[in-house]
Amino acid sequence: MIRIAAVATVVIALAGLFFASYATLDFAEHLDRQVHGIHCSFLPGVQEATAESSDCQVTLMSRYSSVLRTQVWGGIPISLPGMALFGFLASWGIWLVWTGGYHRRALARFTLLAWTVPALTSAFMGYLAWVELDAACKLCIGIYASSFLGLAAAAWMALRAEVPATSLRPVQLAPPIAFVFLLLPIGGYVAAMPSYAAYEAGCGPLPAPEDRYGVFVPLNAPAAGGAAGREAVEVLDPLCPSCRGLEGRLAASGLDAELQRSALLFPLDDACNWMVTSAMHPGACAVSEAMLCEPEQARAILDWAFEHQSAIMQAERATAGAAARMVTELFPAVRGCVGSARARTRLHRGLRWAVANQLPVLTPQLFVDGQKVCAEDTDLGLEYTLTRMLQSPPRGERVASPNTEPAP
Amino acid sequence: MKPPYDTPSAPGPNTPSAQPAVHRPSGAAGVLSAVPGVLLGVLLLLVCTALPAFWVQRAGARMRALEAAPSAPPAVATAQAANADYCTPELKAVLRRVLQSCGLLEGGGGVRGCQPADARQVASLAGADFNALFLPMAERAGVVQFDRDSAALDASDDALIDRVFADQQGASYFFVVARSSPEGSVQHNRQLSEARASAVLEHLRQRYNDPDLDREVGLLWLGEEFAQLDEQFCAWQRSGEAGACRTQELNRSAFVTWIDCQL
Repeated sequence: MIRIAAVATVVIALAGLFFASYATLDFAEHLDRQVHGIHCSFLPGVQEATAESSDCQVTLMSRYSSVLRTQVWGGIPISLPGMALFGFLASWGIWLVWTGGYHRRALARFTLLAWTVPALTSAFMGYLAWVELDAACKLCIGIYASSFLGLAAAAWMALRAEVPATSLRPVQLAPPIAFVFLLLPIGGYVAAMPSYAAYEAGCGPLPAPEDRYGVFVPLNAPAAGGAAGREAVEVLDPLCPSCRGLEGRLAASGLDAELQRSALLFPLDDACNWMVTSAMHPGACAVSEAMLCEPEQARAILDWAFEHQSAIMQAERATAGAAARMVTELFPAVRGCVGSARARTRLHRGLRWAVANQLPVLTPQLFVDGQKVCAEDTDLGLEYTLTRMLQSPPRGERVASPNTEPAP
Repeated sequence: MKPPYDTPSAPGPNTPSAQPAVHRPSGAAGVLSAVPGVLLGVLLLLVCTALPAFWVQRAGARMRALEAAPSAPPAVATAQAANADYCTPELKAVLRRVLQSCGLLEGGGGVRGCQPADARQVASLAGADFNALFLPMAERAGVVQFDRDSAALDASDDALIDRVFADQQGASYFFVVARSSPEGSVQHNRQLSEARASAVLEHLRQRYNDPDLDREVGLLWLGEEFAQLDEQFCAWQRSGEAGACRTQELNRSAFVTWIDCQL
């Protein structure tokens, strides 16, 4: 029976390795800065990757999918050390089965200890996925299940192993070997990374960045202590899920605190935007107008809209004007302004700012100091790119005028 | 192959005698017997190292290939001013000629305005055809009606101008086409229509602190000489008394509209 448990740890570790490998593959595919399908399946090798929005995509794009994001483009995917750990556990299990070491109490207990690492990590990541992301990623579930089943098998083994260890050398050697298992894949991954230097400065300047009509709405208060952050403009639609995602990533990165952020409202709704032919986000015009009507409440309105995007759009689809009613009920200060010529004029002026700057018709877009953050760098590469853009001198200091040179 | 440890064979648990008879093989045999297990471990380590590195390299190669590829036209449209269905090539040609002559295009340096003779010449159209160009703008346009021999705006005129002007949407140009009814001399009516156009512009300047105004607003004053409005324009939104829509009253006016055309 104990041998079966030992064999089970090997099989389960290989299963974990299988799921973690696909998760790493999905992540690595995105290092070309393009959009790719994701293997969101319990049978990733059997079912094709799909580009449809899924919980796996939410998880992959979340801040929890990788670490060291400011140092490495996209960060080190958390599934990579997972892969390495399962690889080590499988190797360790094979060695135990091969040598019969699973009878040794010390070896079996070390096995149990080793399996607590993926199990605890899975418990933590599962909690984050469930509570923070509200997403159930099938590949992740495969990893979690492998971790807990492996822990159970290891526990069984540890309970049954009764032969005292004659030598602790295998247990002493195992941690350094595990370290090598972690170090080599991570080192190889980082060494293979392409250079992203060409995109670190952004994707070009805005030709007409001035807000001559005062159509930007503030998204955050000035930094404490009067320290001014770098000026950032987010072109966003309050009912656009990707905009909510960008906001979440910015907040999660902590880099939002270094930015003096404003929003340029760009509702993808043909009720007010002549550049779109249909209402991709019905109700976005009314919510945008509300933000323009009361800039001091813009942040609160945006947070509310982000939280209730689906409900607002559904209500507007069912009854025209529902979004305006919802926002005015919740924010009475905008009553009488939403739907007015004044609000519509401001909104149109914002849209014409987009025309003057020849922006693509999409949301979200992020500009720091008048430089565009490449659209491809607003998800996995956000922290990496933004950190570098923030490290570059502010716009006014980039080119030192000869006239400003101090006299010798 | 015999494993380096014996498998347990004891029948009962928890007694020293029941413990499995495990013994370590000694010497080279023990080392050799562990080799396959170690090799499998090394193989797994190689897999865990090489596969992610390969995937990353492949992504890098794709990225470099995309960089090197000739830039394809953008898949997403670029934000641009409105270009309504009524913006036929003929209309655009006329608008462009009018706007160039009126100083709005090609860095003309602000509002200058077109006089009747200019308008007729650059439009190269008969008056009725010129008016017909504006018919598709019925929803967007307004007719500001003035009192006889007056260029003063009253409250309802202001309201109409504000209503039309506020609804710019994606339009690039705001046209003010002022006229006079045929009473009085031609010269006087020219001046009167110019004063009416200027009154609208002055109202816009005072009401809106719009830095783009001079690049957006085009004035034409047609006097009584060209493109008089007929009664079909009575159905359009107008200021003044609802019933007062004879052609004389209709032409004591400034026709205002945004033009949703890219030129």
